[in-house]
Order: sequence, then C-alpha cells, then structure tokens
Amino acid sequence: MIDGHYLLRRIGYSGAAFVICVTLTFFILHLMPGDYITNYLLSISNYLPQEAVDQFYQQYGLDRPLWEQYVIYVCNILQGHWGYSYQYGLPVFPMIMQKLTWSLVILLPAVLLGIAIGIVLGAWSGWKSGGKKDLALFNFMIVFRAIPEFWWAIMAVWVFAFSLQWFPLGGFTSISVLSSGLNPWDVLYHAILPICLLTSFIVAGNYYVMRNSMIAVIGEDYITTARAKGLDERAVLWRHALKNALLPMVTMTTFQVAGIIMGSVFIETVFSWPGIGLLTTDALRMRDLPILEGIFLLDALMTIGAMLAADILASHLDPRIRMGDQ
Amino acid sequence: MTRNAFLWISVAILAVYFTVALLAPFIAPYGATEITGSPFQPPDSGHLFGTNDVGQDIFSQLVYGSRVTLIFGFCSALLSVSISTCAGIVLGYYGGNLDEVVCRILDILMPIPIFPLLIVLTTFFNPGIVQVSILMGVLGSIHGIRLIRAPALSLAETPFIEGARSIGATDLRIMSRHILPNLMPVVTAKFVSSSQHYLVMGVGLSFIGLWDTMTVDWGSMIQNAYSSGALSLGLWWWILPPGIAVVGISLALALAGYSLEESFNPRLEVNRI
Repeated sequence: MIDGHYLLRRIGYSGAAFVICVTLTFFILHLMPGDYITNYLLSISNYLPQEAVDQFYQQYGLDRPLWEQYVIYVCNILQGHWGYSYQYGLPVFPMIMQKLTWSLVILLPAVLLGIAIGIVLGAWSGWKSGGKKDLALFNFMIVFRAIPEFWWAIMAVWVFAFSLQWFPLGGFTSISVLSSGLNPWDVLYHAILPICLLTSFIVAGNYYVMRNSMIAVIGEDYITTARAKGLDERAVLWRHALKNALLPMVTMTTFQVAGIIMGSVFIETVFSWPGIGLLTTDALRMRDLPILEGIFLLDALMTIGAMLAADILASHLDPRIRMGDQ
Repeated sequence: MTRNAFLWISVAILAVYFTVALLAPFIAPYGATEITGSPFQPPDSGHLFGTNDVGQDIFSQLVYGSRVTLIFGFCSALLSVSISTCAGIVLGYYGGNLDEVVCRILDILMPIPIFPLLIVLTTFFNPGIVQVSILMGVLGSIHGIRLIRAPALSLAETPFIEGARSIGATDLRIMSRHILPNLMPVVTAKFVSSSQHYLVMGVGLSFIGLWDTMTVDWGSMIQNAYSSGALSLGLWWWILPPGIAVVGISLALALAGYSLEESFNPRLEVNRI
C-alpha cells in the first residue's frame, strides 16, 4: 500500500531529527551555568571537601572534555544505558518510568475521554454549524481555551476543593497511606479533579479541529451527491461526513499521545501531583542533568515516533496525501 | 453583537494594557519590590489591591509586571512572525532548489519537541527575558514558515506578479510591494494568535517557577501567592489581580484572533447564516 521509497525517506528524516535533538539537549544542558555541586550541595552546607567534589566529577565523568562526554553519552544511549541521577544515584530510566506511571494515572483517562468527547462535540457542532447552539458552544470554547490552564486549575481548587470541600486540595493520597497502605480509591479521589480539568482542555482543542474539519467536509460535492441520492440525514452524517472529517483527527490524536509526557506540567504543579512534570522542574533546579536528558530523550522519541506514525497512518488512510507527496 | 464589535473591544482592551505597561512609573504608586506596608493588608485607599506576604504593594507589582509579560509575549510573536514571513515569501517566490532544500530541513526540524527545549533555555538565560523571547521567536518560527510559504507560492504564479516582472520590477520590490500586502491578512492573524500563545506560555513558565524569582511578573505573582496558600488563608486580593490580568489580555487577544481569522477566511463565514 505505502510506497517503500516514501517510507524510507520518512524514517531517514525521523532519524536525523532524533540525532539533532539528542545533540542539542546534551550541549544546552551541559553548557548551562551552575552544576549540581554549586546549585544544590553548596546550598545545604557551606563547606565541601575538595576531595568529595573531585570524586563526584570523576564518578560521573564530568572531568573529561565535553566532546568526550558527548561520545560516551551517545554510545551509552545506543546501548540502552540512560545514566545515573546525581541526586539519588539511581538509574534514570526506572525513575522516569515510575514518575511516568503517576502521570499516566491522570493523563490516560483524560486523553481517551478528551478525544472521544471532543470528536462528538466537534462533529455535532460542525454539522449544526451556523445554528444558535453551535455558536453558543463555539464561543464558549473560544473563551475556555483563551484562559490559561493553570488559572482554571487554581480556580477549580478554590471552588471545588477549598470552598465546597468536595475534593482534596492536592497531592495524590491521604495521610492515612502511612498506616493502611496505598488505596486505589483514595488515589482516584485525589485524581478526579486533575483528570476532569485535563479532559476539558483536550476536549477544547479537539473540538476546534473537528468542527472545522466537519464544516469543510459538509461543503464537499460528495455530501451534496449523497443528499441528492435521497439518503436520510443520519446516513449522510455517519457514513459520509463523519468518516472523512475524522482524517485530521488522526494526526491530532497521535500528537496528543506524543505530548503526553509534558502535557500535564501545569496541572501537576497546581495539584502537586508527583508526575513527570514535577520531576522535570525539580531536576532542573538541582541541575540533575542525567534525569533531564532522560526525560527529553523519551519525549523526543515519542514525539518523533508519533509524527512518523501519523504520517504513515494518514497516507494509508487518505490516498490523496500519497499522491501529493511524490 | 457582530464579530467586528468584538475586534474593536479587544483592541481597546489591548490599548489599555499597553498604556499601563508604557506608563508604569507614573501609574504605580510604589516600586515593584519596595516594601511599603505591613504584610497581608487588605485593599484600602493606600494600597489599591492590598499587600502581599512581605508588605509589597500588589497594584504596583501588577503594573510593573505587565512590562515583563507583554515584552515576552509580543517580542517573541513579532520575531517569530517576521522570520516566518520573510522566509516563507522568499521560499515561495524563488522556489526551485532553495525551496526544496529548506523544506527538507524543515521536515527534519518539525518533529523536535519545543516545550522541553524552551524549559531548559529559560533556565539557561535566566533572568534575561529579552534573550528568552528572542530564542522563543526563532524556535517558534519553524512552524510558521510553511503557513506563509503556501500562499506565497500560489501568489508567485499569478498574472499580476508576472506583469510586475515584465515592467522590470526587481525581485525585492515584487516581494515587498506585491506579495507581502496580499499576505498581510494571514500574517496579521498569525501574529495575534502567536502573541496570545507566547504570552500565556511565558506566564505559565514563570508560574511553574522557572524564571528568576526576583523578576516581578504575573506568573511569579500567582505562583508566589498560590504556593504560600493565599487561597486557604482567604487572601483573595493577593492571587486574583494577576490572574484576572492574564485572563483579560489573553481573552482580548483570542477574540481579536478569531475575529480576524473569520473576516479573512470566507470559508468559515459562509456557514454563518
């Protein structure tokens, strides 16, 4: 189905993008002013013996020239070694995976719900475009999207957690975890508010794309043809309009899956959710370079992989894209 | 109310923000970091929006903070849109090998995730807001080049461009006098939506605590108030003003963006009965 030449070229681009990304993050991170010693260790104690500092530099290979560090880093990545955190001395990959799991607790339901609700609302709104209900929903979404995510989150905390006291103020579990262990219901109770917020942001984004795509499809000749054939409106909507309008959503959805790593930074900050966002800002403050490199590597892998998947999928689903890219 | 009215309302709101940012020293009664009262003072005639945890005047902080936020939002948007426009027009007009090569490079650069890079660069250049906004502009322009290139490409083929060339107009003149004005609608809409995007992102970055804590801007004001528990202590005057300020300008820009997009894009207009 897919042209082999096209596929090869796409994979080549993705490889190049990945190399550029790894190189860029490595050098930017290592050239950053301040390091773990000066930023963190010296702030908790005034005096550090020179031997300890030397040992730290030597242990993490920071005493070698930068290009040598870079070569070692790339070789390690290719062999699947992602390095050790300065702060914890633990391997980076399992650490990131653990935090990612926590992020996924709120992100996975939010992305799934957000895509489904966004498509339904957008399709409905686009189908009824120009009507009063469509306009009301459309204007509401514009206003909703214009207000920053973290501000919605703060307001939600104020109204639902502080004033009404329906939900906890933040965190991922109650203090009772110390005596009774982690309780899934307790975690869910803490996760509901962040999940609802994230879902509504994703809905708003998807709604706009889906509505525009639906409006474009309705104007096409084949919809007029379908109507002229005497098909009832439901058949036109479900079998002719919706299928074609979903095409841009394929790309949109893959992007959302790719953006999943950094997608919840703001929400995690507001709710002090122990996910990847908190890990990132924390590592940045401590100049814990291996963790940062690991996170960015994972993010780059996922984004670039998803772009590739989106391209292949789109050209598989829509022959016109294939023809246009000769 | 028509879309046009929305556009004028948002322009008026933006004008107010710009005036405040420009005339900050005349409007603000105190300096941004000056300690002028006792902590947690509720709003009164001396302190219009009260004071924060160390007794700084919140109204003055708000007024001075508008400078940082506006500089970041509008400088990055201006830079990013200028780069995209110039590059897009040149690529679309000359076409050929240059276009081919640059498009391939863009293909490679497109999938690189911007947000993590941005987070690191912000820390890197701390507290240089101007440097960060320049970098943001350059990084963000990658996505805009294609947007401008496509219409420039089809414009370059039209008879009136051919006509201009036949009477001996130079390439530079054709690009600046004939192609650019025809692209202005797209460019303006892109500029407005980018400035909203960058502005909110700037406030967000400073909210998650990545900017210099000494720089007073709306994001750090919200962060400061939120993490010190302004909500649970009932100190609404500490957290609401910066938040409402961000919401206001962001809404104004979003409304202006959508109105512009709709008036320039007849396809969206047709469906509005």
